[in-house]
Amino acid sequence: MYTNFKGNKVYFSTGGLNLVKDNETLCFVHGAGQNHYSFTQQIRYFVSQGYNVIAPDFPGHGFSEGNQTISIEEDMLWLVELLAFLKIEKATFIGHSQGCLTILELAEKKPEFVRGLVFVAGAMSIPVNDFLIDTSIDNPEKAYDLMVTWGQDNYGSFSISDWPGHNHLAEGNAVMKMNDSSVLSKDLKSCNSYNNGKQAASTININCLAVLAKFDMMTPLKKGLQMVEIIKQCDYKILECGHFLPIEKPKELNALIKKYLNTLK
Amino acid sequence: MSEKYRFDTMSLHSGHVPDKETGSRAVPIYQTTSYVFKDTDEAAALYNMEVGGHLYTRISNPTIATLEQRLASLDGGVSCIACSSGMAAMHLVVSAICSSGDHIVASNKMYGANINLLQHTMTRFGIETDFVNPNNLEEIEKSIKPNTKLVFGEVIGNPGLDVMNVPEVAKICKKKNVPLAIDATFNTPYLMKPISHGANIVIHSLTKWIGGHGIAIGGALVNGGNFDWGNKEKFPTISGSHFALNGISFWEEFGPSALTAKIRAEGMYNFGPSLSPNNAFYILQGIETLSLRMKKHIENTKMMLKFLKENESVSWLRHPDLEDHPDHKIAKKILPLGSGSIIVFGIKGGRDAGKAFIENVKLSSHLANVGDAKTLLIHPGSTTHSHLSSEAMKMSGLTDDMIRLSVGLEDIEDIKIDFEKGFKAAAKISSNKC
Repeated sequence: MYTNFKGNKVYFSTGGLNLVKDNETLCFVHGAGQNHYSFTQQIRYFVSQGYNVIAPDFPGHGFSEGNQTISIEEDMLWLVELLAFLKIEKATFIGHSQGCLTILELAEKKPEFVRGLVFVAGAMSIPVNDFLIDTSIDNPEKAYDLMVTWGQDNYGSFSISDWPGHNHLAEGNAVMKMNDSSVLSKDLKSCNSYNNGKQAASTININCLAVLAKFDMMTPLKKGLQMVEIIKQCDYKILECGHFLPIEKPKELNALIKKYLNTLK
Repeated sequence: MSEKYRFDTMSLHSGHVPDKETGSRAVPIYQTTSYVFKDTDEAAALYNMEVGGHLYTRISNPTIATLEQRLASLDGGVSCIACSSGMAAMHLVVSAICSSGDHIVASNKMYGANINLLQHTMTRFGIETDFVNPNNLEEIEKSIKPNTKLVFGEVIGNPGLDVMNVPEVAKICKKKNVPLAIDATFNTPYLMKPISHGANIVIHSLTKWIGGHGIAIGGALVNGGNFDWGNKEKFPTISGSHFALNGISFWEEFGPSALTAKIRAEGMYNFGPSLSPNNAFYILQGIETLSLRMKKHIENTKMMLKFLKENESVSWLRHPDLEDHPDHKIAKKILPLGSGSIIVFGIKGGRDAGKAFIENVKLSSHLANVGDAKTLLIHPGSTTHSHLSSEAMKMSGLTDDMIRLSVGLEDIEDIKIDFEKGFKAAAKISSNKC
């Protein structure tokens, strides 16, 4: 669904349906260099479960226009303003990777918007090595290739997919190519410079869920578990897959989120 | 972390890891029509394509999905749909993209059935096609109209062996925002991957070299995921609201995989051109040795070219690897490993000599197929293209004396001896005429 927000055309997926006034809202927040397609196998599933879903493309990502936000703090403010614009007062936020940093920041600075929090392949900080940042500036397509290769476990190597006929390595590349070529480097820099994660995590007072990936090369499991320890009430599950968990283990992730959402009712 | 495996490794492994329950190393044949749902929630999710999985073999099947994932990885595509034949794949592509009132630009040097489909069948449904010389770039560009929704061609034309300049045609299509679909049956992904040259959709007859043993009919379309379907006026059934799946936009919900999502939800569901799981298995066995076979096909083709070139009974010889072929330069650029294993040639003495040749070879089989492990021959004028008018035959570069040879994997010396027998019989006819 498109809207004109802050003078720019902005896209947010609702799973193809209009938002229903009294339904609870789930907000899916994508990671670095990604867009709403990260959650293809979550969005329409949860719409069918009776939720309003919004999965925005951040400025410059996917179908959204406008100047890209260049810090996690800016990402958070843009998201909060979009929610207010859409008259959404409260939501459960599901972040993936960089999206986890955004919702951590949101939980600390704008807790009134938060009904629940799900961290998917996340951590309190995501330091990025210089090589990947430099590559994302000099040769973005090579950086996409590195990310999708590092980001997926053996499922990627063997083009294994629950989705018949899909080749996730190529698909991951194609999704990243939909963004402006400067998007990834700015996102990676945002991740690299964010240092408020621990403080933000320590302020969370609601029951949360973390779904972590055993073979995560982007946000290693160890760092995800450190986040779980800092958040006061954070249940967690570890799935045998890589960083692109929503694509690699969609059914398992959906089941865990569904169970968690039931605890919020 | 995943690995980026190379071609031969992908040919053996993509789409399958040993089965967790049984440890089966080979891809199991899931000979089933349907799949028990865990609960109503899962059933609804599968019907609505909210998550991946299988509900009915007309739409998808685990054995067929392994084949699809293997082909997608070999061709560098984001997704693939395998179906009952190459023609079914072509029809799925055309019907997914075009509606009544739309227009296609297609090569005039294509396989007869492709021409038939576009020239006669699709016109009945209001889809018109302009046929163009595949290497006349100016003509291609000029033929693209505002209602043109597809440009279609073959990497190596059948049976004329014209080579399409895919990278240049792809540039035109990109500029005009029209998807380029390429039939890559004669090259297979081992010799050339059209997506890496800018094509958007690849079509294969799996019956030929990919399956490679003449035992199973099958087809596939591979989606490059590199076309922007976002223009709702131009591609309303892909980017606009569609009746399937509660009026969603395939482009908004599935992005790079929008085309295959639509074909799965509409084409496979409504037309039902499904591949059988058994045939998918046979074709998978073929893919496991694709590179080995293609190397040998090319090696044998080179030797046959030399043999035919030096043979007095041969009036003319055509293959893109020959320097005198009009598309030799293009072939060298986009098919550096070789331009496939089809050779066309003329026999001195015309139609009757050709008939005598075909009837006197023993090892080489006279039949309507190509890309078998065995050497095959046919006389297109009296078989595959017999339904075309003389004018249409000429347009496709055909003549009465033309023989199409699909070079097999036999010891090539035995094929040469076999051909000598055929040429001897043809020469008798030829000398009687004199």
